Amino acid sequence: MKRSEAIGAVIIFLFGGITALLSLKMPIGTFRVAGSGLFPLCLGLLLMALSGLFLLTLSFGSERIIEKKDRVVFIPGSVKQILPFFAALVLATLFFKELGYPLTSFLLLLSLLRILGVNRWTTNIPLSLVTVVASYLLFVKWLQIPLPKGWIGF
Amino acid sequence: MLDSLQLMISGFGIATTMQNLFYCLMGAIVGTLVGVLPGLGPIAGIALLIPATFGLNPTSAIIMLAGIYYGAMYGGSTTSILLNVPGETASVITCIDGYQMAQKGRAGPALAMCAIGSFIAGTIGIFGLVFLAPPLAEAALAFGPPEYFSLMVFGFIVLSNVTGTSLIKALMMAVVGLIIGTIGIDPVTGNERFTFGSAPLLGGIEFVAVAIGLFGIGEVLVNVEKPLGMLEEKVIFPRLKELYPSLQDLKRSITAILRGTGIGFGVGLVPGPAPVIATYASYMTEKKVSKHPDEFGKGAIEGVAGPESANNSACQSAFIPLFVLGIPFAPPTAILLGALLIHGVNPGPMLIGQHPQLFWGVIASMYIGNFILLLLNLPFVPFFANILRIPKKILLPLVILFCITGMYTVNNSVFDIWMMLLFGGLGFMMRKWAYEGAPLLLALVLGPKLEVAFRQSLMMSRGDFSIFVSRPVSLVFLLATILFLLVPVFRILFKKKKGRDVKVQS
Repeated sequence: MKRSEAIGAVIIFLFGGITALLSLKMPIGTFRVAGSGLFPLCLGLLLMALSGLFLLTLSFGSERIIEKKDRVVFIPGSVKQILPFFAALVLATLFFKELGYPLTSFLLLLSLLRILGVNRWTTNIPLSLVTVVASYLLFVKWLQIPLPKGWIGF
Repeated sequence: MLDSLQLMISGFGIATTMQNLFYCLMGAIVGTLVGVLPGLGPIAGIALLIPATFGLNPTSAIIMLAGIYYGAMYGGSTTSILLNVPGETASVITCIDGYQMAQKGRAGPALAMCAIGSFIAGTIGIFGLVFLAPPLAEAALAFGPPEYFSLMVFGFIVLSNVTGTSLIKALMMAVVGLIIGTIGIDPVTGNERFTFGSAPLLGGIEFVAVAIGLFGIGEVLVNVEKPLGMLEEKVIFPRLKELYPSLQDLKRSITAILRGTGIGFGVGLVPGPAPVIATYASYMTEKKVSKHPDEFGKGAIEGVAGPESANNSACQSAFIPLFVLGIPFAPPTAILLGALLIHGVNPGPMLIGQHPQLFWGVIASMYIGNFILLLLNLPFVPFFANILRIPKKILLPLVILFCITGMYTVNNSVFDIWMMLLFGGLGFMMRKWAYEGAPLLLALVLGPKLEVAFRQSLMMSRGDFSIFVSRPVSLVFLLATILFLLVPVFRILFKKKKGRDVKVQS
């Protein structure tokens, strides 16, 4: 538990450190005439200080650890569901322009519904189709938003 | 005062045009839906609908987006009462007595009292807004960069203090938000910062992507992780004829509604998740002043009427710092600030003078919106309750599709969708590590303003930091900030002392 909390704090500490380092590559100036890098440099250092303080309080046990029921572990079996779910989102974004809005959203809905356990094609396909047609009519036809057409051309 | 009333009447003229009435109705309906659906709060709801307002004038756009905010407060109570699942965080407290009432077959009066209490609170809150905003705006004209800087720091500290379980964690998130806010073009010198040669990053990280990512995608991922089928149980469906409360219910609730309104209005004026704090404060007050405190937790109608009135009233008064100071004190108003900026409106002390149509039109629309919500929420409660019958496994993909479509339409950019997914993953991990998203979002929106105020103040003082304490208003804000920072320290010391006393006694 503590270790997992500490990993989170270390990631934030490193983020602060990288911010500070990158800020040093920009003009810093003085407090009277601040350069572009001064404000992010201060923020980077502040973040390092805060995460360092958090790590210290973790080691001395004064920081209240999040309760056991909310502990930082994945619910057993959930990775099997989350990973394909997120992968489907990434793939849809990757091919959003090429496939076009209607086709991408149809395939995305189809796969998300299956991942979440809607396995019957007789439910899955009509539901995806109706949703895509409705959202197409709403966004493209009514709100006139130029969504990608892709190779299907509409 | 007469001036305010006259302007308010002219505001009604603006709000009652067919177009604005339509968008007010849309906002109220979407807000109620957003509130009813667990997992989609007002922040993601407003952010998702921003692209739909691009073709509108700023007044109609803000009328609709504001409607989503206060509409969500109405809708949130429905799931709390019928399902024991709060539609959004401000409705958590309503679960306690609301669900108990529903189990005793009194879901109808509980829902009706929520709607009536919210309407009364919203109405009184609007009058407070009308009479308080103009004098505050006049006072705020005297604010310079040091005052704005100190006020924003105060806002961050208070918000960090009242959200989540850990002050340090909340402060870390606020600083992360400020750092993300520095990405893009430096607002003072025009130099590029952290863009790594990427053209889309020149304009900075799109705040809508962060909002939808953290609060929309993140929430969906958390739901995907949970065992499915959780929402397909325990829903209680009231019938229309069961909705109306008895005279006894009204009698018991009216003072709770008025107290809740006062508490909510006061809490909305200070930084923090106002509706959430207001509901807790109202519930505790009602329990304390009640002649039968033992009924609380077992279905006391005051425990529903008071908090629901408080959250609506807090919603209305939260618009005061947004409109008058240009500084949102809560994440939903931070999103509204972003929407105002997208529409070319810079809120602040000059807003009332420069955009009277927008200011008075939006305020008048809130009154109309509250009336619409009262009409919507009483007879249509069974309809909204039916929405809860949609299984989560169908609802979540629909929310995702809406998020992706909404995100793309902001700038017609796939890059924004990537950003949304990135922040969605981050939001999911943040929930795992119990980090709050609200300070990050608020800091991201306010970051550029804070930096400009900081740098301008130091330019004015030639690099002398004493400028922040030599100006009385700025000093007051900084002293209040220190006080809020010390609160957790005092709390720990008090607990330790109490622990020692218990040991000595035993």
